[in-house]
Amino acid sequence: MEASEVVAPQNIWKPFEGLSPRVSRLREEYFSFEKRDYFRNEVMPFTTGMPWDEVWLPPLWGVVPEIYAFFDAYAEGLKALARPVEMPSGFWRNSLVMRRALFFREVCRRGLPVKILDGELVVGGQFNTALSLCLNRREARRLKRAQKRWRKRADEINSTGMGNAGAVPGHLIPDYPSVLSLGFRGLKERFGRMREEAGDRGHRDFLDALIVCCEAARDLAARYAEEAERLAAREPDRLRSEELAEVARICRKVPWEPAETFHEAIQSLWFAHMLVMAAESYPGPGLSPGRVDQYLYPYYRSDLEKGRLTRENAKEILQCWWIKHNYAYDYQGRVGENQGINSSFGQLITIGGIDAEGNDASNDLTWLILEVIEEMNMLEPKPNVRLHRNTPDDLLRRVAGMIARSQGSPFLLNFDEASMAGLAWQGLPKERLWDYAPVGCLENTLQGDDRSGTVDVNVNLAKAVEMVFGRGRDMATGKRLGPDTGDPRGFATWEDFRSAFETQLKALLDRVLAVSDESDSLRARFQPTPYLSAIVGGCAESGRDITDGGARYNFITVEGIALGTAADSLAAVKKLVYEDKRVGMDELVRALADDFEGHETLRQTLLNRAPKYGNDDDYADEVARWLSRTWTTSFWGRVSPHTRRKYRAGYLSWNYWIAYAPSTAATPDGRKRGTHLSNGIGPVDGADRKGPTAVALSVSKLGLETAPNGDSHTISFTPSLLRDEEHVEKLMAFLRAYGERGGTALQVNVINPDTLRAAQADPQSYRNLMVRVTGYNAYFVMLGKAIQDEIIARESHRL
Amino acid sequence: MRSSPANPTASEAALTGTVFNIQRYSTEDGPGIRTTVFLKGCPMRCPWCHNPEGISPKPELVWYSARCIGARDCLKACPRGALELTPGGMRIYRDACEACGSCEEACPAAALEVIGKKRTPEEVLDEVLRDRVFYEKSGGGVTLSGGEPCLQRDFSRELMMRLKEQGIHVALDTCGSAPRDHFRELAGLADLVLFDLKVMDTELHREYTGIELERVLDNAEWLAQQGKQIWVRTPVIPGHTDSEDNIRAIARFIRERMPGVERYDLLAYNNTCRGKYERLDLEFSLAGEPLLSREEMERLCAAAVEEGLGCARWSGATRLEAAEGEAAGAEEGKGG
Repeated sequence: MEASEVVAPQNIWKPFEGLSPRVSRLREEYFSFEKRDYFRNEVMPFTTGMPWDEVWLPPLWGVVPEIYAFFDAYAEGLKALARPVEMPSGFWRNSLVMRRALFFREVCRRGLPVKILDGELVVGGQFNTALSLCLNRREARRLKRAQKRWRKRADEINSTGMGNAGAVPGHLIPDYPSVLSLGFRGLKERFGRMREEAGDRGHRDFLDALIVCCEAARDLAARYAEEAERLAAREPDRLRSEELAEVARICRKVPWEPAETFHEAIQSLWFAHMLVMAAESYPGPGLSPGRVDQYLYPYYRSDLEKGRLTRENAKEILQCWWIKHNYAYDYQGRVGENQGINSSFGQLITIGGIDAEGNDASNDLTWLILEVIEEMNMLEPKPNVRLHRNTPDDLLRRVAGMIARSQGSPFLLNFDEASMAGLAWQGLPKERLWDYAPVGCLENTLQGDDRSGTVDVNVNLAKAVEMVFGRGRDMATGKRLGPDTGDPRGFATWEDFRSAFETQLKALLDRVLAVSDESDSLRARFQPTPYLSAIVGGCAESGRDITDGGARYNFITVEGIALGTAADSLAAVKKLVYEDKRVGMDELVRALADDFEGHETLRQTLLNRAPKYGNDDDYADEVARWLSRTWTTSFWGRVSPHTRRKYRAGYLSWNYWIAYAPSTAATPDGRKRGTHLSNGIGPVDGADRKGPTAVALSVSKLGLETAPNGDSHTISFTPSLLRDEEHVEKLMAFLRAYGERGGTALQVNVINPDTLRAAQADPQSYRNLMVRVTGYNAYFVMLGKAIQDEIIARESHRL
Repeated sequence: MRSSPANPTASEAALTGTVFNIQRYSTEDGPGIRTTVFLKGCPMRCPWCHNPEGISPKPELVWYSARCIGARDCLKACPRGALELTPGGMRIYRDACEACGSCEEACPAAALEVIGKKRTPEEVLDEVLRDRVFYEKSGGGVTLSGGEPCLQRDFSRELMMRLKEQGIHVALDTCGSAPRDHFRELAGLADLVLFDLKVMDTELHREYTGIELERVLDNAEWLAQQGKQIWVRTPVIPGHTDSEDNIRAIARFIRERMPGVERYDLLAYNNTCRGKYERLDLEFSLAGEPLLSREEMERLCAAAVEEGLGCARWSGATRLEAAEGEAAGAEEGKGG
């Protein structure tokens, strides 16, 4: 285009000018980390004071390989800074889970600072902890040993680009509706009744620990009530003083008692939510509120009917609550403009979708929340809209219109039919499926009683291709990763090649899943989290902690990386080597070993003469489907030995498609070592040349129900394709067709490369420019240059 | 083909068309999500043509300099010695080249391409039916464009009839200049006709397009009486079609002679086709022409509306003025 398509900074989606002064100020306050020295949600370590204490467990961070090198320094640093919490005598005679509960209660009673910001209607802000594991000397010694072994194996699989694994906290939807309707008092009473009937001492002790945690929530809320009362008493402004008195009243009531009003419900929800982050010592990732427009709606409607609330009041309360989620980022405040990989924590909120009868479930709160999303323009909480066959046109038009205007998608779109088919395939009860919701980036789970370890394991499928050519060895280091499947030059047929690939794929999965087995077991043995167990269905009943497979539904998700790269590689071998005989295996083996140096003609042949996934080309798509079905079902039935959690598959490449590019050798699709792998279920960048309908149809052929976690797929549209109502209507139709024929989830970026380049050159002006990466939103200017370049390259390849 | 003797048996056995592109998720060639099939060959010679590869009815070879890796496989493959790799790039001796495709097949880097492939209606149908679900959800369908689809009458007819049998909405994008019975037959099959009216001055029309205006207007008037869905389109070309008088004249003609027209689109000139001309060794006389401004497009659109054509609108890339920073991002718009 001769005409520049740069969008001026002032036209990037920005907060609504009509935000109330209160909300506007609270929003700005969040963004002013430097000036906000009176209130920062930075990590607060708390220790038992024992010399062997640990306050941080690296296996939880196993999926963040870029910090492996800092594990020890970080753990030691936190210990050095940790505030000792004095525990009563007799503390060490308790079980580990009870120690953790008592310690947590003590931190809630005395450790966590209590601060109410000027103008806040929803309170509770400093929740970023590093809590003592409360281990005794013997347990600590055992942990050290086990952790050392885990660390060595995690390093091996990561450094060779096979993958990674960790027992990641968050990534579930707690049973918040029960907190709202019963209060923690109701839960405590329920646990008390269960205690009467519990068969063994272990179970009774566990229930006692849950009860202690219910009290912890009550006690922290009471401290906020006191603070609000104190502020109300000295507040000169009468209106604010009354507000503070109301906040005090609410905090005296919830989350201990059932919520009755909308404001109470939101405050109760926020306390319950922020305490999960405090209890897990993990600020936010994937801890998701779920279908808020459904379970908050009764409170909203009832308040409106009783005249207690206006729509505008409700919106302001929602907006105050909205800002809260963003404080999960504060720990990054000092790191500055880092790689940006933690740019979004995925406290995923879901709206829309169907009800138990299959009818559209959207309501006025759905629409109100869309207004909040549009007016706030903040990273968190991350919104997801569930679309289905009967999503009303006006709702779809509103969503499509927001996408078209947004310069970076504000949404994840989740498609009910395909998502539910996957959850049915994995064996979840049919009558529960309508109420599913995704967590984190896009990972589908049930609400309230399902922990599916949705980002715990990541495997690089393209590495299995390398292992065939390396005869089981890493081509860079010569390390043995899988069995010797023989010299590829000796494979007479495609079937021989494919069989060697399957062998290597299995070896790869075995290696990576073994590391996951260990991290899962480590967390279960050394970091029980009774507070979270109290609000996830199944734990109290089974007497097992959430970390120990206590939830009613337990899975660990294996996320596939580089499906497109691996599929294109296999398709190229099948077509060019074995069918067309245009490429000799001998030359291919040498070219891959040489990273295509001196083999440019061959590389171009592989790039241009082989079928590519993503073009609705049945040949390539069939290979991709075979690959997808093969790897996703190959470990089905396998469980993590310690917790009995069952492995399931999904596609979420997070940033690994970049991170593992250097450790993955050249591949037969023509990719050199270091070039990015493909992302999610998307095609290799630039390989899809037939536009969004062709990509959607390629995706639809994968048979994604065997990857029930959900499947990351990003499609980019340039603004001109969505420039007016007529074109927005076309996007709506595209989304409806995608839902009928496509994948489980879609993210739409509306952005042009020139604008991105302008933002890269002038980050200050484009502070608000948001893009979606893999499965999370990020402020573009906060991303590392590598990811920025990646996004620009993708956008330059116009659909 | 001009010189080869007709072989009725062969042509009956395999009716083929010369197709130079099949574009999916096409959003600018009719309602909904569409696939546009571009057919080679056009009777007009408009200097602003943005699909110059569609003008000649014959397949043509092009070379993409950015893709070429200098492998020279093409030189060996060419049976006619029609290629020469010079320091300045690939020279294609077009008199010798028969666009047989041997070099394209041999090139590992896809740097050579024969524009215009022989395709049977079945082959084209197979591809365009793939997006059926998108047509159904969007009220879209398939558009035949070019070039001028009426020049490949038999192929176009066959393809349109097959699409109709499948219940697919079919649009015919035509320059309006075709033998009367060809035009009537194909337009008669279409659900929607996208009809170009470029210049209303007889002399200028002949000068720019090489075709008599009368023939176009004849077809337009006949079409208007058929009760079809019609969208008229005018490419707004600086110094050629962009006078207000011209737009007003077209608008008046539509109002008076084509009263059923559903929509009138003013399409702003763009120059992204420059590379295509270079690759075809053709001269693009408008290469240096700046884009139109928003104001000009809006003014022309308003003029059409003033002539009583409320269905007028405009689209396309326009110049981004320095002072227009505020309105950046709205460089594509519509009026009317």
